[in-house]
Amino acid sequence: MLKYVVKRIVLMIPVLIFMTVVVFSIFYFAPGDPVSRIAGPNVTVEVYESIKRKYGLDQPYIVQYWRFMKSVIEGDLGVSILQERPVIEMIKERLPVTLEIGLLGFLITFAIAIPAGVIAAVKKNTFIDYLCMSSTLLGIAIPTFWFGMLLMYFFAYKLRWFPISGYGTIKHLILPSFAIGLTNAAITARMVRSSMLEVLKQDYVRTARSKGLLEKVIIYRHALKNAMIPIITLMGLRLGWIIGGSVALEIIFSIPGIGRLMVDSILARDYPVVQGAMLVLTSSIILANILADVLYAVVDPRIRYG
Amino acid sequence: MYVDREWVQHRMAEYEVGKEKKRPVIEFLAKLFGHKGAVFGAAIIILFVFTAAFAPWLAPYEYDKPDISAVLQPPSAEHLFGTDEFGRDILSRIVYGARISLNVSLVAVGISLVVGTVLGALAGYYGGVVDYIVTSITDIAWAFPTTLLAIAFIAALGTGIENVVIAIALASWAGYCRVVRGQFLSLREREYIQAARILGMSDGRIIFRHMLPNAVAPVIVMATLELPKAIVIEASLSFLGLGAKPPAPSWGVILDSGKGLIGQAPWISFFPGLMIMLIVLGFNLFGDALRDVLDPNT
Repeated sequence: MLKYVVKRIVLMIPVLIFMTVVVFSIFYFAPGDPVSRIAGPNVTVEVYESIKRKYGLDQPYIVQYWRFMKSVIEGDLGVSILQERPVIEMIKERLPVTLEIGLLGFLITFAIAIPAGVIAAVKKNTFIDYLCMSSTLLGIAIPTFWFGMLLMYFFAYKLRWFPISGYGTIKHLILPSFAIGLTNAAITARMVRSSMLEVLKQDYVRTARSKGLLEKVIIYRHALKNAMIPIITLMGLRLGWIIGGSVALEIIFSIPGIGRLMVDSILARDYPVVQGAMLVLTSSIILANILADVLYAVVDPRIRYG
Repeated sequence: MYVDREWVQHRMAEYEVGKEKKRPVIEFLAKLFGHKGAVFGAAIIILFVFTAAFAPWLAPYEYDKPDISAVLQPPSAEHLFGTDEFGRDILSRIVYGARISLNVSLVAVGISLVVGTVLGALAGYYGGVVDYIVTSITDIAWAFPTTLLAIAFIAALGTGIENVVIAIALASWAGYCRVVRGQFLSLREREYIQAARILGMSDGRIIFRHMLPNAVAPVIVMATLELPKAIVIEASLSFLGLGAKPPAPSWGVILDSGKGLIGQAPWISFFPGLMIMLIVLGFNLFGDALRDVLDPNT
């Protein structure tokens, strides 16, 4: 087990390094002059040259990448052009906000998807199953940000149960988290259902039945536990989707998360911030996937990776 | 080495016959249209394609013409989907917006399909170093979430609808590459491919004439399911102000223009979102049905 975990982490290093190359190159090869991006269009030659030197933009690609990499390892993601503050500081303020929405979104996903998937599997080919599965079809098709707007209209404008937008209390987080949790629940419920159906076919479930165990015990104690194993990996993969989806929701609900920071910075051409946010987000997603893989191996004793 | 050319050619001919017998077009279509999801999905898709193609005839008003006398009107007989803050007819804007959605997604999916398929074919056919390099890049591209990667490319390329196409294409080729590589790895060892090699066929001919047609089914299924994703990403990027710019009638732009008016004029954002949901549903239903029919395992 330890060997597998270590191997997985070692294998992650080239992926992370390549990711920094990608993120760096995207901005290096971007059309347009990087100096004018920082300085604006109307500057004197002296100012232009001094900015070029200050940011090391007169150096070749490899040297620039090397400097970028070195500062990333030291935890320095550069300085925002607009706010003139260290990017890492801005990310530290914004990332937890997005994580709160994501975490709450995951909780809502599980709270809905697990019961729905289990019931659909147990009552396979009945009205309840069809109802669950056709609602998941709709759920998968709904654009998350539009769903967020619908929730905002009904629960904030009409019923006034929640604040319309902003950030501060748990009430502000509920609507965006529901928007993300419910749409994510649709695809998860389908996975739970098919995984559950697979498990219910197994010999040990038949054995449990023939022992005369209560159906409830069989489903929740024996089958569900095993059916949840593949769901763990799926959830690791869904994290990227959740973060991607929360970008638009943060804009709709005026939440100061990292997605909003990224979009604002793109529109303001504040590239160091975009680069830093991309790095942090993608590396956390890669890490989450590995964590899910490791967890998968931990919970499933049948899997023994060499 | 002695090669019995006749035997080899015989095997090739046998394979060609077998291929035709296994998947006649008629049987495939009958199966596909016996599938309720496929029919429903196809109907939705055709409806939107029709709308996009005949937009100038179908739209009751001009999509970009302001009308001060009809500002923020709720849905009525004159304006079925209501009007926006400039008095523009939402239905007309949505009808024209279908063109943007379909064009962007078709071109983006087309590019990513070609790029992914070619890379996957090369990796699967040649193996070795080529495979190693392509697979490593693919794995990394695969690890990035599509929406975020597309946003990153937009950040680099600049905003605008052409760049949205490029960004979506660059962010979503990895899936095709993986699928085609997997198919090629197993096809490479088949007898008829070995036979083609012995006959001295060029690599290009083997890849394009004999292997690609056999790897195309999962690629088509994937493309059908990637189209709705591209539509949603285009709408999201335009919604965020990173894609199409107002007054372009992209569904994302209309949604964005209604964002601040949800309390007073919810219809502005309601209808374009509903259209996105419908078209995504259509493609998903059709793609799932296509997979069921094309995949012999189900």
